[in-house]
Amino acid sequence: MTRLRVGSQPEPEATATGFDHDAADREALNLDSVAQGDLGQDGPGRGGAGQASAGQASTGREGAGRDGARREGGGQEGGGQEGGGAAATAPAGARLGVTGWLRWFWRQLTSMRTALILLFLLAAGSVPGSLLPQEGINPAAVDQYYTSHPLLARILGGLSLFNVFGAPWFAAVYLLLFTSLVGCVLPRTLRLAGSARQPPPRAPRYISRLPFAVSYATTLAPEAALGSAAAMLSGKRFRVRSGPGWVAAEKGYLREVGNLLFHIALLGLLVSIGMGGLFGYKANRLLVTGTSFSNTVTALDEFHPGRLVSPGDLQPFTVSLDKFSASYVTSGPEIGQPAAFNAAVQYTGSPQGAVHRDTLSVNHPLVVDGVRVFLIGHGFAPTFRVTDGAGKVVFSGSVPFIPVETSGLTSEGAVKVPDADPKQLGFVGVFLPSAEDLHGQLVSVFPTPQNPVVSLVAYAGNLGMNSGSPQSVYTLDTAGLRRLPVAPQPLAVGQSMKLPDGLGTVTYTGYQQWISLAITYDPGQMPALVSGIVVLGGLLLSFMVRRRRVFVRARPGEAGGSVVDFGGLTRTDAAGGFEDEFSGLATEISTLHQGRLDGDPGPPDGE
Amino acid sequence: MPVNTGLADISNDFLLVAVAVYALAMLAYACDFAFGRKAVPAVRKARVPALAGAKSGAGAGLDADGVDAADGAVGADGSEGAAGTAGPGAGAGPALGLRPAPPGLWVRIAVALTAVGLAAHLTGVVTRGLSVHRLPWGDMYEFVTALTCVAVAFFLAAMIRYRAYYMGLFVMVAVVIVLGLAETVIYTPAGPLVPALQSYWLAIHVTAMTLATGVFFVAAVIGITYLFVDRHARRLAAGRPTGADGILRRLPGPEALDRLAYRTVVFGFPIWTFGVMAGAIWADRAWGSYWSWDPTETWAFITWVVYACFLHARATAGWRGRRASGIQLAGFGCVLFNVLVISLLVPGLHSYAGLS
Ligand code: HEM
Repeated sequence: MTRLRVGSQPEPEATATGFDHDAADREALNLDSVAQGDLGQDGPGRGGAGQASAGQASTGREGAGRDGARREGGGQEGGGQEGGGAAATAPAGARLGVTGWLRWFWRQLTSMRTALILLFLLAAGSVPGSLLPQEGINPAAVDQYYTSHPLLARILGGLSLFNVFGAPWFAAVYLLLFTSLVGCVLPRTLRLAGSARQPPPRAPRYISRLPFAVSYATTLAPEAALGSAAAMLSGKRFRVRSGPGWVAAEKGYLREVGNLLFHIALLGLLVSIGMGGLFGYKANRLLVTGTSFSNTVTALDEFHPGRLVSPGDLQPFTVSLDKFSASYVTSGPEIGQPAAFNAAVQYTGSPQGAVHRDTLSVNHPLVVDGVRVFLIGHGFAPTFRVTDGAGKVVFSGSVPFIPVETSGLTSEGAVKVPDADPKQLGFVGVFLPSAEDLHGQLVSVFPTPQNPVVSLVAYAGNLGMNSGSPQSVYTLDTAGLRRLPVAPQPLAVGQSMKLPDGLGTVTYTGYQQWISLAITYDPGQMPALVSGIVVLGGLLLSFMVRRRRVFVRARPGEAGGSVVDFGGLTRTDAAGGFEDEFSGLATEISTLHQGRLDGDPGPPDGE
Repeated sequence: MPVNTGLADISNDFLLVAVAVYALAMLAYACDFAFGRKAVPAVRKARVPALAGAKSGAGAGLDADGVDAADGAVGADGSEGAAGTAGPGAGAGPALGLRPAPPGLWVRIAVALTAVGLAAHLTGVVTRGLSVHRLPWGDMYEFVTALTCVAVAFFLAAMIRYRAYYMGLFVMVAVVIVLGLAETVIYTPAGPLVPALQSYWLAIHVTAMTLATGVFFVAAVIGITYLFVDRHARRLAAGRPTGADGILRRLPGPEALDRLAYRTVVFGFPIWTFGVMAGAIWADRAWGSYWSWDPTETWAFITWVVYACFLHARATAGWRGRRASGIQLAGFGCVLFNVLVISLLVPGLHSYAGLS
């Protein structure tokens, strides 16, 4: 091979196995005893297999030593727990017994490979949730899917594919994943807590075989050299352990801490989301200026409670709308685009509580009792007075119309007058805030009420409001109604339209504004935010800190003085930089010893 | 405020210049492969005494984890000589003779061109932002120009830090293609943005997502290069004929590329995590619910999980290397899918694409 491969492959791999015979060396190299205890535990004591994989799987330099040792360490550990090679042959049926099987299953579940597969399933399972319409987001689109593809929709529906994120199989994936996470994190936390008090392992016998190693001669005696090296390393906040002829030092425990914090915070995130799903609720309410509502199930237009929310749990606040104002860009290319929405409200925390005032705007919700009330929409509610055939005023009030476009806020709605005599009356209307005649057609040219005009189509007959099936307040069910022969004409404020056949008169008396409010209560919101911050912090910690060990061995030199070997290794040096740190340390130590790194120390050990 | 068309034109000019200069840089990186001095053909057994443990001839011995040292010496810049002899003579220098040689002439030209291109690119992005009075990643065209800008800036820093000059050609090819397509196919004239997209958490969210996408872009290029190099290495090992040998044999081993890709993802992943969180905070403020499984959100989540898979895969026996690379590329596939398919075709709360 002509490619120049520095720190080339075969030897380090040999190195990895070279350590096999020395348990102490193995410990020194197993930087993963904390993080990776689970590696290699792929089956009940694949103890033997651990070694095989050490050879095969270390495909590279990085694999050298560290990886090899890691898997080995894992295997060794697994072996230790399982009683050496005794259980090494897969779950050997009867011999294993129930607890054996349970243990085997638990190990499978908490193995890194299972975590990987479950993560995959989580990702793959989310895909249909983004491609198919979802009940939680767009129920109308789901209904439409059912009408356009009835058979397919039934199959998909049966698989909960229209509600992926609430589906039992999706829950199964993430619950398994989080069980695996607990099974993974708990033991690692315990081990980390244990190792936090333990000194680093002994130095390996052949330091020169470490991934990073230098050797030099010094005039100092071995003890003196080791002493000053140990002092220097502990001065750099390494945890130092000394033995005859060697010094071992370790640093960077925060990496494991970060990794564990990250995973634990993921659990926290799941719990927070769960809290929101069980105890939180969402609701909507449309509120016309000058009116109020209280936060009770019956007063809300829409109510989506969490699984464990009962009507009595709702916070008993009331809100009334004093005034709503909207301002828009009045010139330039963005003309008609909204600039600001403000809703001045009064609210009380409880029916008899003190009255407070606040102004809601798009990014400023009202917060009462832990519940947030968002301003999410607005519109116009023209007011009407309807006099029936008997001359009685049977309707007087505002009717919210729903905007059908945003540039002129043209709105549509329905007026229902069930009390009219002799026939019930109904009107379908269009409200134009800034009506203008464009080529014979009346359109609204701006979203503020500069020329507010209403046009009504009148119906008489049976409104069908007693049929039992719920009706939308914004549309008219014309099944039992007859359209009255009166041409719709634009009405200005104060104008009336007389209905034929003596059925009465409708007067357009003015308009109000309404706002729509989204009411959300999510007790998991704060915990989720905190978990999220810890997730990020843990991630950064684990990526920026590297766990590393360095070792020093000194032996008497042939010509007096001593020969010092200095070596080190790190694991998952995510951000890089151990090379520099190591060479810095090596320079410092050799300078301290007045050794000459460029001298020829003779062939290194074991070569 | 109206669009400042003068500035918008300047932006367009600078971006065109950037593409042209990047193309030149690309040529220079290619020239390095073609004419740069060859790497030493055989591993020199000159054991650098100072680096007793090192199994290397090129003097960059201390390199268990060291893309840096190793790749500098191997690098396509062909100036291995100095690195190889750095050992004995260099003394207990600051880096134990680890300091690799300075890059060769072609590489220096290429890096300089990259930097000039980046300056033009950055100017183009900034003037575009100034012309429309907002952050310049508001529509698809702007998003692509901004993310390639991030990619080049990040790559330039990483290339110098990890001495990964050999990646210059591949990253530049990708950048020239993507930026060229952006200029021609999806070019959108400067225009104002829907006011609903106005909140500083939103700005933070979109910025973080753009940054992370730029970094993941670089990781994907490295991942693809890895797959070629890995195949080449396995064919060589099996004694089978190999194609594109001229280039591939001058790249570092697959492990170094694997590690470089890993470090790149490690850089991007927290930014992506933060970006998703910022988006959730914004959603929470705007709609009262921090997560609503809107399609774009869902794909951001899927992407995150796939990259988490990659990070796990690299720590799982038997998954490192090719499989991990595949996962990484799948992750970038998710990013692309979100940008190209979801935000354009699937309706949701994210009215972002701006192409309509
Ligand atoms: C909710 C699912 C999970 C996600 C999203 C996730 C994500 C991640 C991420 C992003 C990393 C890299 C960051 C770091 O090194 O600290 C990581 C590392 C790690 N995870 Fe997970 N994880 C999950 C579940 C698990 C489970 C179930 C296990 C146990 C089998 C596990 C074990 C590990 C280990 C040992 C590492 C360190 C890998 C290394 O040293 O490079 N994780 N995980």
